[in-house]
Amino acid sequence: MSKDKDSKEIQGYRQQPGKLPFSKPGSGGKNSFSKPIDLENIPVSQNGRKDQPWGPHRHDSLISGQVIGRPTALVDSAWKVTGQAQYGDDIRLPNELIGRIVRSPYHYAKILSIDCSDALNLPGVVAVATGIDAKNKFGVLPVTKDEHAMAVDKVRHAGDLIACIAAENENIAREAERLIKIEYEILESIHDIEDGLEDSEYPIHDRGQYHIGNSNIQKRVFQEFGDISSLEKNTVASHRSNWTFAGVNHGFTEPHAVVANWSPDGRLTLYTPQQVPHYVHRSLADVLEIPMHQINVHRTFVGGGFGGKSDPFPHEMCAAILARKSGRPVRITFDREEVFWVNRGRHPSKIEMNLHADSEGRICGIETDALIDGGGFASFGHVTTYYNGVLHTAPYEIGSFHYTGARVWTNKPASGAMRGHGAVNSRCAVEVGLDDLAEKLEVDPITLRLANLLPPHSATITGFRVTSIGMRECLERVKKESGWSEKFRKMPLGKGIGVGCGFFISGSGLPIHWDPNKFPHATVHLKIDMDGGVTIHTGAAEIGQGSDTVVSQSVAEVLGLPLDMIRIRSRESDTSPVDLGSYSSRVTFMNANAAISAAMKIRDELIKAASDITGASLNSLIVGDRRIFDKNDPAIGVSYLEALHKSQEEKGALISSGAYRTPPMGKTHKGAAAGLAPAYSFSAYVAEVSVDIETGKTTVDKVWAAHDCGKALNPLAVKGQIIGSCHMGLGQVLSEEMRYGRSGHLMNPDFLDYKIPSIHEMPEVIPIIVESNDPEGPFGAKEAGEGPLLPILPAVCNAVYDAIGVRTEELPITSEKVFKLVEKKCRLQGISNPLDLKSPRLEFSDLQNTLDKRAQLHSKRDIERRLNSNREEYYNGAIFGLEPTKSPEEIDDNWSVRVIPEENYLLSPRLAGSAWKHIERRNMGD
Amino acid sequence: MVEFRLPMLPQPGEVVWSVKINGIDVKLNIESNAILLDVLRDQAGSLGTKRGCDMGTCGCCSVLVDGEPRLSCLTLAAELNGHEITTVEGLANGHHLHPIQKTFTEFGGSQCGFCTPGFLVVSSALLSENNDPTDEEIKTAIEGNLCRCTGFQQIVDSIRAASDIIKENNSIEDSTSAKSNPHPGFMEGG
Ligand code: FES
Ligand code: FES
Repeated sequence: MSKDKDSKEIQGYRQQPGKLPFSKPGSGGKNSFSKPIDLENIPVSQNGRKDQPWGPHRHDSLISGQVIGRPTALVDSAWKVTGQAQYGDDIRLPNELIGRIVRSPYHYAKILSIDCSDALNLPGVVAVATGIDAKNKFGVLPVTKDEHAMAVDKVRHAGDLIACIAAENENIAREAERLIKIEYEILESIHDIEDGLEDSEYPIHDRGQYHIGNSNIQKRVFQEFGDISSLEKNTVASHRSNWTFAGVNHGFTEPHAVVANWSPDGRLTLYTPQQVPHYVHRSLADVLEIPMHQINVHRTFVGGGFGGKSDPFPHEMCAAILARKSGRPVRITFDREEVFWVNRGRHPSKIEMNLHADSEGRICGIETDALIDGGGFASFGHVTTYYNGVLHTAPYEIGSFHYTGARVWTNKPASGAMRGHGAVNSRCAVEVGLDDLAEKLEVDPITLRLANLLPPHSATITGFRVTSIGMRECLERVKKESGWSEKFRKMPLGKGIGVGCGFFISGSGLPIHWDPNKFPHATVHLKIDMDGGVTIHTGAAEIGQGSDTVVSQSVAEVLGLPLDMIRIRSRESDTSPVDLGSYSSRVTFMNANAAISAAMKIRDELIKAASDITGASLNSLIVGDRRIFDKNDPAIGVSYLEALHKSQEEKGALISSGAYRTPPMGKTHKGAAAGLAPAYSFSAYVAEVSVDIETGKTTVDKVWAAHDCGKALNPLAVKGQIIGSCHMGLGQVLSEEMRYGRSGHLMNPDFLDYKIPSIHEMPEVIPIIVESNDPEGPFGAKEAGEGPLLPILPAVCNAVYDAIGVRTEELPITSEKVFKLVEKKCRLQGISNPLDLKSPRLEFSDLQNTLDKRAQLHSKRDIERRLNSNREEYYNGAIFGLEPTKSPEEIDDNWSVRVIPEENYLLSPRLAGSAWKHIERRNMGD
Repeated sequence: MVEFRLPMLPQPGEVVWSVKINGIDVKLNIESNAILLDVLRDQAGSLGTKRGCDMGTCGCCSVLVDGEPRLSCLTLAAELNGHEITTVEGLANGHHLHPIQKTFTEFGGSQCGFCTPGFLVVSSALLSENNDPTDEEIKTAIEGNLCRCTGFQQIVDSIRAASDIIKENNSIEDSTSAKSNPHPGFMEGG
């Protein structure tokens, strides 16, 4: 159809600029005129003025210029600032009982008997439950269900649950706690992570035929990729280190709390601040032996999660059991100490990191051995064990990769997933190693990195498909903005600067509960009725990161609506489509993608209606601010409400559903799925520190933090995530540590002794957003919640070296540790006053030039690759001369993939590698 | 045989507690040894006042007593007879938010929001004393408050922005006022 403006053929009507043709019932409201084309916010690919240095995106045509990319207040923030947000303990139901949990005082013991009769006789006690009330096991991973609501036969760490009580008030419940008489037989407990590798008389768990020897090894991983045989002969410089990382806790401000209520129709509603309501839903059904449809999981506001509220928890089961027994609602709230008993924080780890470089300054080998301390339960441990290895196979191109990892049970509170899950500690070791390699090769560590990056749209050594990469830009930005070249190895003693990088998954490729039915990872439902407001139903868990906001933004953008016309219902499993929850930085990528596809369906209906009214053709109509109009003549068009009402004819409210599922990807070896993601985020930080040479106290002065999040849908939230990640990472590197005493007891389960940096320890952070425009991400977005945590640890460690020339291999870097290292260095150099130490200096070798040139070449290569949609394949290994378009194991006989050690490896295995000395029971021959 | 251990404290007596909470006279029977945080949450209905640690280390439970910040988890309620208590629920004037509430939403001062009530009451006390604080003064005012989400930077930004609003005497719009019109006309040249 002709779109000629002057043509009198056009049916329908033209809206007079600045005049409302007529008003609609119930419209009203502010902003009565819309500015349909805000060219500044429309990308160049759609004839707008917004630059696209990384090329166009498949969602460009959906950009209406409303909200995406603008700093946006979180949609639920009004509740938070008025004190009306209801967190776990704020759910108060009439007639509620208070629940308390009886916990083990012993690290490891058999329970011989429990006598609850006195407790039950105490006036005011309504119900008591113990392990026999719920014997079914549960756990977040279906392959390692090893938790009970309460101990069934033995307790596995101090603080493990034994019984629970529901009483009229807290005082009575506490009194009843003391009346429960428990007889124990104390077993010999293990606390040292290395002891977990040995056979034991009473392994903490029994995995039946899958048990590894008689040991406490929960999971072991062996991975070898690449050309190991020529590694030795090519290596010219090596870095070797042995790290010890203390365990850290999430330290969210809201202690766990849960309310359970069985309604008169026999259904359970569980109110809980959960990151992953769906897995609680499944576990409750297992434990309570009722079908899932009889349960409504209601996610309350979540006062911080960071991974610490993503397991289904025993206390959630306890509340449901008590409420069932008592016939009344039960509320259980933890005190801070209990939060440390359930823990699920970052694993205490021992990591051996060896890096090798060849004469060309290429990273020809990474050898990692990670032994991680799982505490009493499996939790996410299976995945953590893989992540400690596979998540440092990028962003660099590497010649060979050798990883051995093991997770052992010990009698400590369980470790689990925490922001940067499994990647943080080994990333720190790699990045510090690279700094050391650069020193040995006499080159700038930033140049060394820039000359070894994988290009966009490539495959890592383990076969991960990497799409967009903004690593190079991150490094270049922090280098420039920090004034790196004037500072590195040039600052006075006690002042230092350091760099670190990060790489993280943006959603995990496989859902935890793998379903053969090809269930989507995320689903979003939309409903729009007469009033024009859009209701979003999603199960994505808002935990403060802005998940509700980003989903609302996506829908608002596609439909051309202001955010105040969107309302989101994401709390209850009864009304929300299943979502896998807020973990592995998956929400923005998966949920926003699902939201976009749901909104596109509505958009099509609205455009169709607009075409029916105006007679304009479908392809010439576009969506702008609350109007659908002809892109060639914006005066031809209808308001959003008109189009909506037209499309509601005969059928009422518009509804639609959109879903997201990851594309098939990755290799097929055992464990290949761990670490697979539809996209990856990248980051580079530079930190500047001051070290007091006499006391060893490290102060971080300033951080330049560049993060490639694909596209900042909400720059305010992305910056908030970057700064918040810095804060949490700084805690781990400077002061946070779960300290265990000689008898294995946790000594600091409180915020007085568990030292989270206060505002005075917090440096100025300059957040730098790099937008690499991921082809599959929603509007190009990836993640920003976890990745930004990784680089801060190594950046600070490297800066400390730049300041005083000592390298620590133990976190946190407390004053004592630095002091001792300085003392040792003085002794070695025969210096009595540490102020006489020389600060490290570095003269660059010829290699610097070679690397510089290579980095420049690669920079060109990368830009070409990202803009060219007909690019060829690129497999890790090309930098070493392998054919880039073929998977190396297909073309090179020396290039191998191995996931089980060969016999001769077992003659002298590394620490975690020695886990392979045991034979799995099913292979024991009996 | 039942072996009763003595509770830690002798059975407390009840006292009559009359205070002003957010401008309203409140009279309650409380236990003489009750902690202010418990009374506020369990008896006075101020669930906006949060419990993060119960031992003075997080600041989530901050309230104002006669305009001065206090940690309610470390305050004996009975001591406050006759005093004025302000909690986060008392900051807004009906549907007109306090500037500090407005800026915490707009400048990223609140992520999960659990620490937010504490930060809000403490910084509102700062701003009513000093409407143009320096960064150092802001930091000192909130040093007793822990936030695990934001890394504090956007909280400081929010407080600074609120001080601008207060200095310029700008008013905050009623949150119930009309929002976007779903049936807009067309503005040329947009
Ligand atoms: S609850 Fe009062 S300071 Fe933490
Ligand atoms: S916003 Fe979550 S603790 Fe401050």
